[in-house]
Amino acid sequence: MPAARPSALPSAAYPDWEAIYADNVGRIYRLMFAKVGNRPDAEDLTSQVFMAALGPLRAGAEAAKVRAYLTATARTVLAEHWRRTLGHQVTEIDPEATDLFDQAPGAAASDNAAAGARAQRILAGLPERHRQILVLRFLRGYTIRQAATELGVTIANAKVLQHRALRAAAGMEQKAEKEGEAP
Amino acid sequence: MRRHAVDRYVDRLLGRRRPKPFAATEEDLALVRTAIDLVAAGPDAADPGPAFVDRLRRELRESEQAQAAAPAPEPAWRAPRRRRLLAAGALTATGALTGAAGDQLFARTEGPQAQQPAPPGELIPAVGTWQPIARTAEVPEGAVVAFDLGAVAGFVRRTGGRVQAVSGSCTHQGCRLDLDSAHRVLACPCHGATFDFAGANLTRPRQSGEPLPALPRLPVRELDGTIQIYAPVGSQPPRPSA
Repeated sequence: MPAARPSALPSAAYPDWEAIYADNVGRIYRLMFAKVGNRPDAEDLTSQVFMAALGPLRAGAEAAKVRAYLTATARTVLAEHWRRTLGHQVTEIDPEATDLFDQAPGAAASDNAAAGARAQRILAGLPERHRQILVLRFLRGYTIRQAATELGVTIANAKVLQHRALRAAAGMEQKAEKEGEAP
Repeated sequence: MRRHAVDRYVDRLLGRRRPKPFAATEEDLALVRTAIDLVAAGPDAADPGPAFVDRLRRELRESEQAQAAAPAPEPAWRAPRRRRLLAAGALTATGALTGAAGDQLFARTEGPQAQQPAPPGELIPAVGTWQPIARTAEVPEGAVVAFDLGAVAGFVRRTGGRVQAVSGSCTHQGCRLDLDSAHRVLACPCHGATFDFAGANLTRPRQSGEPLPALPRLPVRELDGTIQIYAPVGSQPPRPSA
């Protein structure tokens, strides 16, 4: 993740609940999407965050505090989601990084930039064919048929290629993490 | 190629559908994580859809109203008029203490029931009668009408077809609230606190660091074309005022 640019923390207050919602719903949704990778779950988790925060948050609240509170709530909601579904904390929200990050100007753009940078890092270490299939399928949204046509292979081959490419990428990520943990 | 549960998980991510839980190995988890990182950079990772944003806004609004309308598990107290004033003072003090223990905004976060600084409950007189305060026709949908029974004063409104009544005494220091129709709030002339028509505190006096307790709700019913408040016996004759 690129370093957050320092910026003045907003100290303005939200006049009412609607203002809190309008200003934060996109941010919380993008945050959740980046952590679960699909719209239905991202929408559910976003709903849960706002439902949980509805009571404790009050009008007249300082924007920075509201944002921090929502982010902390999102972290808890996401952890509970993973506990319930796969039984492990697959992804998590780092409130400090997140808050600094999305209070920088152009937050929406930088969310995407961060996701793009992570994806590029994953793809960079892969052989060309693996990289191609993952770019087509994940980053460009091609169907398996479209991707097969683009790469000039059968659909069955495209499936195998995708399967191997993703395993290779995950293996590299795992290895990188382990090396990162070692002194 | 053998199809694994994790492949189906990834397929559903790519198909923009909700993936299904499965018993994941450590390798599976790494795979899911990588797939999510990639999807997050994909075409679907944009702002939430307007339909979702609108739906959630509506749900939040309804939930907020339901919370305001939900009866508390137990009445806050049952006491005649004289003791009620003391109790009102105690309630305000409790609210202040509770809030002082925590952060300014987020003193309690455990659950939807723990969100008011001090659950106001309903004011239910131990001995009282149903006393008419307005005719049904005088309180159409969306209207808010002030009433004063002497012992009990407050505001009655109709929302979603049902009547609701809240106390008209500020939970700060007990001043009589004014109906500010232009701004759709109940405003305190003493220190400037305001409440919404459901009784929730909107703004508080400058020197008060904590949100004020919500206005207690009053038992209200409609019968034979009149709106009635359950109030202590011996209240002055009804004196509806708009």
